[in-house]
Order: sequence, then structure tokens, then C-alpha cells
Amino acid sequence: MGRQVAVVSAGFSEHASKRTDVSMPELVSEAILDCLKNVPSVGIEDIDAFVNGNMPAFEGANVPELWMTDWMGARNKPLMRVTTGGTTGGSVAISGYYNVTAGIPGVDTVLAVAFEQQSVGTTSVGLASVAYGEISVLNSLGMPYEELTRLLSGGAAIGIASYQAANYMRRSSITEEDLARVVVQNRHNAAKTWWTHLKMPDLTIEQVLDTPYISYPLRYGMVCPASDGACAMLFTTEEKAKDMCDIPVYVNGVASVSHETAILGYNGSGAGQLDPSEQLGAMKSAELAFSQSGISFPRKEIDYAEVYAPFPNQELMWVERLGLFEENTASSMYESGVTALNGELPINCSGGVNSTNAIGASAMERPAEAALQIMGKASNQVPKTVHTSLGHGWGGIINLITMMVMSDEPARKFK
Amino acid sequence: MEKVGIVGYYQVQLQSEANYGRYEMIFEAVRGALDNAGLKKKDVTTVISCTNDYYDGRTISNAFSVEVGGAYLADESKVEMDGAHAALYGLMRILSGNHKLAVIWGGSTPSCYPYHSARLFETDPTWERPNAFVNDITAGGFQMRAYMEKYGVSAEDIAKVAVNNRKNAAKNPSSLKEAQYPNLTTREVLESGIYADPVTELMVSPLCDGVAAILLAPEKQALKITDKPVWITGVGYNQETYYLGDRDLSTSKSMESAGKMAFKAAGIKNPKDEIDVAELSEVFAHEELIFSEALGLAEKGQGVKLNYEINGDLPINPSGGALGGNPPCATGLIRIIEAVKQLRGEANGYQVKDAKKAIASGQIGMCAQNNILYVLEGGN
Amino acid sequence: MSENKVIVANKGMVRADFNFWVGRYMDKFYDNFEKKKLVGNKCQKCGNVFVPPRKVCGKCNVVIPLEENWVDLPDTGILKNYTITPYRVNDRTSRKTKPQVVGMVQIDGSNTAIIYRLINIKPEEVKTGMKVKIEWSEKPKGDPSDIKGFVKI
Repeated sequence: MGRQVAVVSAGFSEHASKRTDVSMPELVSEAILDCLKNVPSVGIEDIDAFVNGNMPAFEGANVPELWMTDWMGARNKPLMRVTTGGTTGGSVAISGYYNVTAGIPGVDTVLAVAFEQQSVGTTSVGLASVAYGEISVLNSLGMPYEELTRLLSGGAAIGIASYQAANYMRRSSITEEDLARVVVQNRHNAAKTWWTHLKMPDLTIEQVLDTPYISYPLRYGMVCPASDGACAMLFTTEEKAKDMCDIPVYVNGVASVSHETAILGYNGSGAGQLDPSEQLGAMKSAELAFSQSGISFPRKEIDYAEVYAPFPNQELMWVERLGLFEENTASSMYESGVTALNGELPINCSGGVNSTNAIGASAMERPAEAALQIMGKASNQVPKTVHTSLGHGWGGIINLITMMVMSDEPARKFK
Repeated sequence: MEKVGIVGYYQVQLQSEANYGRYEMIFEAVRGALDNAGLKKKDVTTVISCTNDYYDGRTISNAFSVEVGGAYLADESKVEMDGAHAALYGLMRILSGNHKLAVIWGGSTPSCYPYHSARLFETDPTWERPNAFVNDITAGGFQMRAYMEKYGVSAEDIAKVAVNNRKNAAKNPSSLKEAQYPNLTTREVLESGIYADPVTELMVSPLCDGVAAILLAPEKQALKITDKPVWITGVGYNQETYYLGDRDLSTSKSMESAGKMAFKAAGIKNPKDEIDVAELSEVFAHEELIFSEALGLAEKGQGVKLNYEINGDLPINPSGGALGGNPPCATGLIRIIEAVKQLRGEANGYQVKDAKKAIASGQIGMCAQNNILYVLEGGN
Repeated sequence: MSENKVIVANKGMVRADFNFWVGRYMDKFYDNFEKKKLVGNKCQKCGNVFVPPRKVCGKCNVVIPLEENWVDLPDTGILKNYTITPYRVNDRTSRKTKPQVVGMVQIDGSNTAIIYRLINIKPEEVKTGMKVKIEWSEKPKGDPSDIKGFVKI
């Protein structure tokens, strides 16, 4: 039966739109060095295994974990590579958890690292290829040209997000101002976190609404930047964790459930035909992770949450779908300050993906920041004591969700 | 380590150019494995897939195989290495106690993409890739020469491995047809044309389309699902450094470490005597020798003296190994399946007598930079 | 220091240009290429000399400081290993009539080997252990193609 797992440290590289001063392995090593700096008693020789992941096709580097072996300190060590698109970081963290909990002889302490150096390639091209691969098939099946173009716009994240946003706005009757408010909160928070990309301490709702549309209802000022960056997390067993740090953060529940269809935009299935703000996978993931960690009332039991929201509408949507707020109430929570730094349930005090998005790393930065909040070591630490927090990740085409529920008490329930 | 059972398996027929789509192949493999174990989609709680976005020619390629791979609303993830590594993640998920049935599938269709181009994307883009002198083809040549020169092994000795494996492949109906040579001679292997000197064409595992799947379950459930479970009793995995110039290519350090880890977990002290059959992922014929030496099955440089035929002392790759067909991302998984067949006594035509303990390996990277090894045991 | 260097890697049949930031260590390395000079760096712990230079010594897992431990290297070395292939990297369907010899060369004074083509040599003349020398291109641009290959000396 699995062992209790704890997070003992998390580290980041500095994030920026172009980290021209480092090569890809050097970027990764920055995050690893930062992660190990926080646990002085742990050296690279204490790490038994590694997990690595990024969004593969974006940087034009296939299985780059092979190339960066030495930079990670993984020479002659067990290593696993996990990639699942946007959720890669979350999947890597979950794999780090499974590496430890499995109790494979010789594997106790595991370093998980996720990264993205987007300035190397063209991310939009990478994202378009999500849809592109299928085009030749569809054409031969007689799909008209207009539908193909719609497919392409569906492939890039902004395409999906804009109709997801429109759907969500209709369901919950919110305005663009509500979206802008989420952005402002995130950018203000990002200004107080050292490693983030878009730091805007003085941004106002009016300024956000003053920027042009990219694709209705999303405006230029509302969307995430493309960043270069890396994130690392150190997982170990309950026993070892106590020697490594003051407040080990116990991982009590993990899940990565996908609700996705085989061929995007294929008549009768795929992203275009679903209500993309419904998010069955997110609900199922949340249910699984909460039940593993023995949480029955997430609204009351979760003290802090980091959700993966490159676009503001998604942040509102996730906090509802994950059970943190009632349906259609999220925007009022942002308005009344419940989700602010000193609120009842602070959300994304690191600034979230909306302020920093190194895609492969983003979904790991969520549980990493959520863990740091429990440890009391986050740059933008919430004033209240955080006992239980969650880190969420979003990816796939529109719906693959990673969840990691953490607490300062080992409370894992075995089914 | 607690015992985890392999309760079902399926491998699609390997083909040079599959005349049906990737998704159909994935479905056939996963459905086949479930049928093999008498289970249904609703029994599946977790799915680990193994593909490579470069091989599939699209980003987030796993997102498109969710339905056909049985992962719809199941806890899923993707390992971008070899299928054998995906099996490791599946094993971990079962060991965690979170899951009771894991589907692991892996595979790709190299008839649809430029394999060597995709492999070139593995190389260091800031130094080696612009010139492209380092690639999977030349790496094989370097590795074989390093091995031959270090231990004075002749090309004939290595050709014998290719002869043995390709003859074995002829007895295995699920191997690639084009790889089957029932009457091959070492001379024919040596004269089959230069691939990357000293490697010749017939010493190279032929690329092909294929998908394979296995099912894993904890001990208690495995005993209820099948009368013939095969247990994973040990696993080891390891990665060595990247640059070929930093490595001793005449041996495999990563396989050595993986072997030690797996044998320790399984309580194996003397692998040479205790192992009944080995299925190793050899991309080139010489890798079989390098691996068997690294695993302690033979002294360094003495791998050629092993009696590795089907009725020999220690049969290696009775199925034909990767030389009998190398579908990227599935090769290691097929080695596990072939070892399972041997332990269940289902290897018709190439069955090793009284096989009780087997090893199976998978690899990725230039000159097998990352290796994984399983110890499998049969019986209830 | 010159501007941060990018290496454009677009070989292969997948047609997409990726501009890889090489980082400060490789930047310095390529700057020296422009002067037809080879430099490496040395791990302060184990003393191994790397060509090309590295930020992290994989054996010791220590960061080699950017401003220190640089080593000037000669353009001669020993052939440690070689292979001969008729294939272009990305295309196995077309065998070239003239195979190319690719060699793994340990530059004198370094502890690792680099891989380049051997030029002006017949395949049957190649022997491991022979001395070779870098053939620089006439107009170096500061990228990997500045080394045309190695010639026998």
C-alpha cells in the first residue's frame, strides 16, 4: 500500500518573455538550484530519482531530458519523462508523488522539474499543430474549408478560451468588467512574487478594458503572456521529510482526469461541440482528489487555491467547478474581496498563469506555490494560516485536469 | 516491493506500413488487452499512454487518443519515453493503492513520419544538431566500434546475434514479416550493406508500425482476474549522461545500474543462473551483447560466448527481439509481453522450457542512454 | 561580449525554424570560433576539461563559474572512434554514393570528445588513435559550421 508523500521544497527560475541569457538546460538548472537552496540538508546525492517534463513540440527539442541530464544532476540516476500538454507541470508533479508513494526499492526522494523556453519556437504554431495534424484526414472526408479554418482557430489556446469565455459569461451573467477585475487582482499579486513575469502593481480595471479585443470577449490586457521559465518540486517520504524541513507539506490527493474526444472538431464530437465551460473532467478530478484526501466540504476545508487560468474567465470557472464556490457566484467573490490576499479564500496570490505562463512549468507552479503557502515561505504570503491548499492544472485540448491537494497534516485516505 | 500482476496483454500485428489508422491500432490493442483479461472499460481506473509528440507529428498527441485508449474520464497520464517506462508509471500507480486496474499502451506509426528526423530533434540544438553528424544512425556505428575495439569482438560474432534473432522472429507470428529470415547466415548479414560502419543493414532493428498494451492489477485483484498472472517482482531504471564523447560506449552504465536496482528488488543474487529467459530491447545486434554483459549474464566482452538460442542455457530474445520489429514507443512493452508469454507458456513455436523467471528491458536515447529493466515471475 | 547568440537549428524534414538561445557559456565558445580558436572550461572539482564548455559538471554536479576556469585549447586531437555512413541523417531512402566518415575526436588537453566529419581521407585510411587537426572554414560565422571537419596530420 502506498506511502504518505510530502513536499519539502519548491524552486523557480526567474521568468521573462525571453531568457536569452540561458540555454534550455541552464534554465532548468536555475530552478533546481533554487529548489535545493531551500533545503540546505539535501544535496544532489540525496535525490534518488527525477521526473522531467515540458510541452514537447514548442521548443523543437524532442525528449530534451536526455540532453539536460548533467544540468539536472541526473547523471546515473533513475529518470522518467511525463508530458501531457498544458498540464505537463501538474502531471510531472503527480508523477513525482507516485514515484515516492509507490515504494519502489531505492526511490525515496524525487525531484520533479517542469520547464518551458517558449522564446525558442513559435508557441502559436505549436498550438495550431494540435489541430493541424488531423487536417489531411478531414479534408479527405469532405470537410469544407470554412470548417478547417475554424479548426485552426480552435487549436490555438486563445480560440478555445474565447468561446469558453463567451459560454461562461452567458451561463453566469457576468460582464467584461468582472473579467478585468480578476486580471487586476492577479497582476497586483504578481508584482509581489519574485519570479513572475508580468508585474503590474498599479493596473486598473479601466486600463484593462481600454485594450483592444484579441477575440471577443478577451482583450489584449486580459490574456497571459508567453514566458520562459522552470519550476522544481522536491518530494519525499513522511519520515525523511521531517528531517529535511520545518513544515513538510503532505500530498493527500492527486488526480488527472480527462474528458476529451478523439478528433477535434469532428462533426458530432470534439471541442467545438461541447460547452467548453462545463468541464466534466475538472469536476471528476476534484471529486477524486478530494475523496482521496478526505475532504467533504472543499468550500470550508480548502484555505488556499492556485488554479490554472491563463484567461480570467477560466479562473472564475475553475473555482466554481472545483467546488470552492457555488456555481455563478465566483465573480461576486472577487468583487467582495473573498479571494484577495487577506480574504477568506485567497486565490492565485502568486499572480497565477494570467501573469506568468511558461506552459510546461505553469501547472507545476500552481501546486508549488500552494505548498509554499502552507510552509509560510511564499513571496506573497497570505496573512492567515494555511492548513490545506490545492494546486490545479488545465490542459489537453480543452479538458485534462490535474489536481494536487496538500495539507500540513498527513491525512491520506486509502481506498 | 509488493507484487503487481500483469493480467492481460495484446500486441497488434507489426507491419511496415499499416493500412489502417493509428487510432484504430490503439483501440485494437487496448480492447484486445481487456478482452484477454475478460474485463471491460468500466473496470479501468487509470491509463498510462506512451507516444511521442514528434512521432505523432502533433502537440499534446495524447489528448487525441483519450477515447480509443480507454482513458475517457479515467485518471490518465502520458510517459514520453518507451512503453516499458509507461509500464513503470502504471506499476507505481497500482503500488500507490489509488488504483486497481491500469491500462498501459504504447506505440507509433513510423510509416507516417520521418523517424530519423524526429530522432535528430533529440540532439543538443546549440551544438550538435545544426551539423547533424550526431544522430541515431552514426551513434549505432560508434557504439559497435567502441565495443568491438575494446574487447576484440569480431563483426561475425555480432552478426551471429542478428542471425539468431531474425531466425527466432521467423517462429514468432506477431513479429514483422520483413524481419523474418528462417535461413539467414552470418555472411548474408555482413554483406547486407553498410548502415553505419561497422553496423550493416541486417544488424539494425527494422522500424515498423505497431501498438501494444498490457494491464496491471494489485496481487489480490490479479488472482481473481486470471489463473495465469505474471508478477513484476523487480524494476530498475537509470539514465546516463548525454554526450557520446563523455561515455564509454563499449558498455551500458545505465543498464548496469538498472539491472542492479531490479535484481536487488527481486532478490536475485546471481542473474546468470536464476533467469530463465531474457527479452532485451536491442536496437542494434551489438546492443544485445552489451546489455547482457551489463546485466552480469556474461563477463565483459564475453557476451558472444553465451548460449542464447531458444534451447540454450539462457535464451535471449526468443521472440526475435527488437530485430524482429521495432515500433517506436512499443518495443519495450512488446518485450514485456513476450516475457509474459514465455512465463504463461503461451509462446507457441518459440517457447522456452520451464521458464519461471524472466527479464525484459526497454530503452530510449542515443546508444541506449536510458534503460529500464523488469524482473517478471510466473505462477500463482 | 557580443549580443546573445542564437543557433538556428533547422536540419531535418520537419520544416520549422527554432532559434535556440545558447546561453553565456556557449556564447563565449562561439565568439572564439570567429577567431578560429577553440576554448573549453574546466571543472574546479574534478579538473575535467569540457569542449564545448558547460555550466554544470555532470560528474561533480557543481556550477562552473562563468568568468573562471576557461582553458585555451589547440586545434589538434586524437581520433577515438569513427563510423562511415552512406546515409544523410534524415533520409534513409536515398543512399549517397559517397559515404561520409564521421569521427569522434578528443581535443588535446580536454576530457571529452566532439563529433565532426573527417575530410580528405579515404575510408580505408581511417584508424582510431590517429592524430587529427581542425579544418576551419574560411569565413567563420561563430556557429558549429565553422569547423568544416578534421584532417589527418
